Amino acid sequence: MSGFGRIAAYYRNRFAPDVAKSVPDCNLIPLSRRSFIIGTGAAGLLFGFGGVGLGTGVAEAAIGTSRDGYTPTLWYSIAADGAVTVNIKYAEMGQHIGTALARMVADELEVSWDMVRIHAVDTDAKWGLMSTGGSYSVFGEFKPLSQAGAAGRIAMIDAAAQLLGGEASAYTVRNGRISGPGGSITYAELVSQGAVNRVFSPDEIAGMPLKPINERRLIGSPGRALDIPAKVDGTAKYGIDARTEGMVYARPIIPPTRYGSVVETINDTAAKSILGYQQTIALDDPTGFVEGWVVVLADTYPAAMKAARLVEVSWSTGRNSTVSDKDILDFGRKQIDDSSGGSLLRDDDGLADAFAKASENLQAEYTTSTVIQFTLEPLNATAWRDDDGHWEVLTGNQWQSLILPHLESAAGVESGQVTMRTYYLGGGYGRRLFGDYAIPAILASKALGGRPVKLLAERAEDSRFSTPRSPSVQRFKAALQKGDVVGMEHHASAGWPTEVMSPGDLIEGLNKVKFDPFAIHGAEHWYSLGPQKLRALSNTLANETVVPGWLRSVAAGWVNWGLESFVDELARKLGRDPLEFRLERLKAEGRNKGEDPVSTGGALRQAAVLRRAAEMSGYGNTLPPDTGIGIACTHGQERDAPTWCACVAQVHVDRATGKVTCQRLDMAIDAGSLIHPDGALAQAQGGALWGLSMALHEGTEIVNAQVRDLNLDAYSPLRMADLPELNVEFIDSGTVPTGLGEPPVTAPAPAIGNAIFNAIGVRIRHLPIRPEDVLAALKE
Amino acid sequence: MIGFMLNGQKVESKLPPDTPLLWAIRDEFNHTGTKFGCGIGFCGACTVHVDGRAVRSCITTLEMVEGAIVTTIEGLGASGQHPLQKAWINVQAPQCGYCQSGQIMQAAALLVDFPDPTDNDIAHAMNGNLCRCMAYYRIRDAIKLAASEINRSKEA
Amino acid sequence: MKWRRALLAGSATVVLGVLGFLAYAYESPIDPVDRPSADSFAPELVEKGRILAAAGDCETCHSAPGRPRFSGGLGLPTPFGVLYTTNITPDPQYGIGRWSKEAFRRAMREGVRRDGAHLYPGFPYTAYKNVTESDIDAIYAYLMTQEPVAMDPPENGIIFPFNYRFFQAGWKLLFFDPAPLTVDPSKSKQWNRGAYLAEGLGHCSACHSPRNLLGAEKQGGDRYTGALVEGWYAPALNGDTGSPLPWSKDELYSYLRTGASPLHGVAAGPMAPVISDGLAQQSDADIEALATYFADLADAPEQVDEQTIVEALQSTRAPSLSELASRGKTLFEAGCIACHYNEPDKAPNILRPELALNTAVTGPNPSTLIQAILNGVNKPHGHPDIFMPGYASSLTDEDIAAIAAYLHETYATPIGAISPAWADLAGTTKALRTENTEKQHRQAEAAQ
Ligand code: FES
Ligand code: FES
Repeated sequence: MSGFGRIAAYYRNRFAPDVAKSVPDCNLIPLSRRSFIIGTGAAGLLFGFGGVGLGTGVAEAAIGTSRDGYTPTLWYSIAADGAVTVNIKYAEMGQHIGTALARMVADELEVSWDMVRIHAVDTDAKWGLMSTGGSYSVFGEFKPLSQAGAAGRIAMIDAAAQLLGGEASAYTVRNGRISGPGGSITYAELVSQGAVNRVFSPDEIAGMPLKPINERRLIGSPGRALDIPAKVDGTAKYGIDARTEGMVYARPIIPPTRYGSVVETINDTAAKSILGYQQTIALDDPTGFVEGWVVVLADTYPAAMKAARLVEVSWSTGRNSTVSDKDILDFGRKQIDDSSGGSLLRDDDGLADAFAKASENLQAEYTTSTVIQFTLEPLNATAWRDDDGHWEVLTGNQWQSLILPHLESAAGVESGQVTMRTYYLGGGYGRRLFGDYAIPAILASKALGGRPVKLLAERAEDSRFSTPRSPSVQRFKAALQKGDVVGMEHHASAGWPTEVMSPGDLIEGLNKVKFDPFAIHGAEHWYSLGPQKLRALSNTLANETVVPGWLRSVAAGWVNWGLESFVDELARKLGRDPLEFRLERLKAEGRNKGEDPVSTGGALRQAAVLRRAAEMSGYGNTLPPDTGIGIACTHGQERDAPTWCACVAQVHVDRATGKVTCQRLDMAIDAGSLIHPDGALAQAQGGALWGLSMALHEGTEIVNAQVRDLNLDAYSPLRMADLPELNVEFIDSGTVPTGLGEPPVTAPAPAIGNAIFNAIGVRIRHLPIRPEDVLAALKE
Repeated sequence: MIGFMLNGQKVESKLPPDTPLLWAIRDEFNHTGTKFGCGIGFCGACTVHVDGRAVRSCITTLEMVEGAIVTTIEGLGASGQHPLQKAWINVQAPQCGYCQSGQIMQAAALLVDFPDPTDNDIAHAMNGNLCRCMAYYRIRDAIKLAASEINRSKEA
Repeated sequence: MKWRRALLAGSATVVLGVLGFLAYAYESPIDPVDRPSADSFAPELVEKGRILAAAGDCETCHSAPGRPRFSGGLGLPTPFGVLYTTNITPDPQYGIGRWSKEAFRRAMREGVRRDGAHLYPGFPYTAYKNVTESDIDAIYAYLMTQEPVAMDPPENGIIFPFNYRFFQAGWKLLFFDPAPLTVDPSKSKQWNRGAYLAEGLGHCSACHSPRNLLGAEKQGGDRYTGALVEGWYAPALNGDTGSPLPWSKDELYSYLRTGASPLHGVAAGPMAPVISDGLAQQSDADIEALATYFADLADAPEQVDEQTIVEALQSTRAPSLSELASRGKTLFEAGCIACHYNEPDKAPNILRPELALNTAVTGPNPSTLIQAILNGVNKPHGHPDIFMPGYASSLTDEDIAAIAAYLHETYATPIGAISPAWADLAGTTKALRTENTEKQHRQAEAAQ
């Protein structure tokens, strides 16, 4: 199964019983391979693979009953002491994903939370797709993991009934203790007696009924994340902390272009004076993702850093070496001007007619500049070849299934000959969806005969090798008639991440031209605004200059900037209050009714969060001069898995300097059932601030084919002193849980843009919002 | 060889004296709780204490800490039980966690100078510690919680 | 170019001097003696000498990184070339082991070597002339009991014609008044003690007074008006520092005693060892005497009250910033504020240097601020609990210029009349980097 399919397909697949399907494949990773990793320091720092495993040290057990306990499905085991270890195949990068998934299992299994452990697994075919992104994990796993938990509970009850002599239906279970006729018995007792060994057929698991909502004990109630203690005492292991014996440290020197640079000369004469410097090598790259890379090798990392500053490399520069943000935007504008190109997502009947009859049109263009993920942990990977020719890659990664084939081709080995060991991610935000940074570690190790190489980018190199959110251009055109909007065109051009990194996941549009869903998400809105034409264009200049990234909330982060600002413009144009204007058009009619179970309720749920956010903010109150409130609402990312988000922003604009200060954000969110409410809140808080940060604080530009601002002296994400007041409220609709990592990012930027309009009467149409743009707009 | 105290133990670094302290701590002495983020003193992920003051170890050279007392997250409280660490768990502050060692070390130094910090004090004294996950509200809450715990135990 | 002109002027002067003052220039050698044995000095005298030598910063100048103490070799850049300090250990061949007490006294007070050659005024005999004989004898005793080191400093790089030492006699005729300081009966005993320390062993004016083209300290109204030394700006001591608050006696005391004043800043650069190595050895009474003397010189009060401090803190805010300074603000808030923030309505914490009041920020010359950003303020010198790493490798010249512009515009603007705008900060930063690198190379060479 490939990476990001459309969510509906994904969701349907997740219902398929792939849990049981994997049974025959399951085998243990030989311990001998594990023993390579050593802890050279204090005993407390000794660690093994599965750095995220919170020290359980548990090897994944075969399904069935064994020395390790009872393993009813691939996803968890119950040990003889009653401890439940849930295997987590998703990357932990701040979303406490293991906690959320384990709660699904534990809730149905009816065990107490203090008996639950999580274990992060390394790559293995038996896990199926390993990909963490798109805010899919909770949404996609809810049903299968809950069913897996339910299966375990039923097996336990059956075993208990047999031992105690009653009918299974006569027993109840709480906190791993089964009670009923003949007394009570715990899971621990059952497992230690070897009394339970039932394995479920795929059909049985898929048909497993879930508990009624009112019997949920863990889902939706407070609880602490299992990954947090290790993150406050320094014991959590990230990729950068991986180590093994005899490592060579590698510091990359990144070529001037992402594609096609060829090393001409390397002069390391000056570097030879550095103690511990070994050599500088140009990588021989069969994958095309690290063309022209040079790595400086040394005994220690500081020696490698120092030496790298003294190594002179010249390249024959690759393609598009002079391309800038402006070039990409201009290219996109030209694409939009040409009505023949691109992929059509919607082309509703009656649109031409609507425009022909319209009394007036409203047109606007919205643009965004480059943004980078800037994960705090710089890109790194440690790699080596075993004595038996097998490759070990130690790194934090979000989409192992995507990169493994590339790693295999870099290593020059067959499928299955590379294992990626799992570590915590010091931030993902989409950067670690693409594991291209592990390729050079393998190539460097290969050049050294398979010796372990720890490759670590310094910050500037990390930035230059980023997968940035592409600059984007959108053009909107609405047909207005009798005070209403009767049709709308929406054209969007940007770099297409999926086309560059995972082309198999493109989707066919109405005109048979493929499109990247991650370059247009958000555009299929839930408003009743008449027939719509929606066209997505692949900005090939962007694609051929950078590797456009899936940056947190991806397209929905910039599509909604344009869409929700434009909706505000429409309301103003028609002389309407933007809140009322929106609410009136969130009618849940036709295709906006929603679909069970993924988008139950449709546009009415979007209206509900919008109404709530407006109430929270005191919408309509009078504000001081140059202060304004703006609203925006989105469906998160995907129409097929909506997380309803509404945001009200209050800003103050300094007319003298053009500086915009966000004073307050009120957000109401409906993400269906909340599995781990505190984790959900944390994601919403972080996401809201990301949205704000990308609107007012950060953002860079491509200059000469690479991002301009490389470190924190130039790139300036939001910091503590920039915090607005933030209120987040969830509307728990009890429906299928949807994602939360990204959706809250999508609403603040347009809300801020709309607030600026309310504060000073000028419309800003470019992200990030820069003081000079505000000043210029004020002058007009 | 440059000698200093690291989390209560005397250590001697074999690295050149102009090496940033960070790499001695992480790679030579294997205390990997201290993180590398920006390398220019602008993210705070590498914050440690030198003689009790919060310092960015990525731009502090070994020769600057000759004979000094250096404390990292591993040495802050016995087995992670410093009031700040407890508060951090109580408010569930970390997201990815990568910045948090630095945040906690910075916060520990902050509480020495501002035992009862206001939001404004926290905003300024913590502003050099970037949290890319933007867990700022909880970091602020945790600092205040720890401050009140510490003050209460002092009164008791 | 300025120095080339100076050189011409200098040569002219010296040529005239040759004709007129050849006889005057002649100083007779003083006979060598056998090196006095260490136990010929009373331990109390040696101890007294140790403290006095510290007050005179003997070790600071006559030691260099990588060389044994007192063996010289520290390169002092002068407009006339690099001057290396001499070996003042009692080594008979390379040091002063064969100098009699008389020869040592003459060197200290008249700037003449045992062999009769004139010393350059890089050696501050112009101040040491004010030191009493008994104090000099104690220093002699101390130095003679130190470990001898058989090591020569590197060859001086003094340019022609100044490399001919007898020309120094002409310089002395022009600029050196051998009469020692006298007691001012109109001032207190404490004041006079302060004056003795400052104008004698302390040789404070050597750094804090500007010099003329021939390297002599300017006198009269120009004395103590501040000067650039080794890329650091030694601020005015006559009250014209540009600081928002006066250098009161209390602040001077705090600064000279601990290396930091909560209202003015931290000792760094060449001043740091003056405090941590030199003044640290002196009694509280002597530090107080120095503070009394300089507070009077600057016409400053004994102390500044809390309300004045808070007012100064709140008044020093610039209304609008240049583009460079706005960028500097962002940088400052990300990289610097964590350590430099103080509660807005309280007197600042000495360990959190308050830049709104800092002499290096508000003064006329940006060098000290830039140097502090480049090199940090760290061990082994300066206030023991203040530690700032250097940003030389982290920040570009433009970054540092931006931060300096932000601070100066923000905090010096309200007192702009005293403190002019700073120009070409990036250029200054670049030049200072070069100067620092050269210094490092010099040190590395001297150490070999
Ligand atoms: S790594 Fe030291 S401050 Fe960023
Ligand atoms: S928790 Fe991820 S950077 Fe702070």
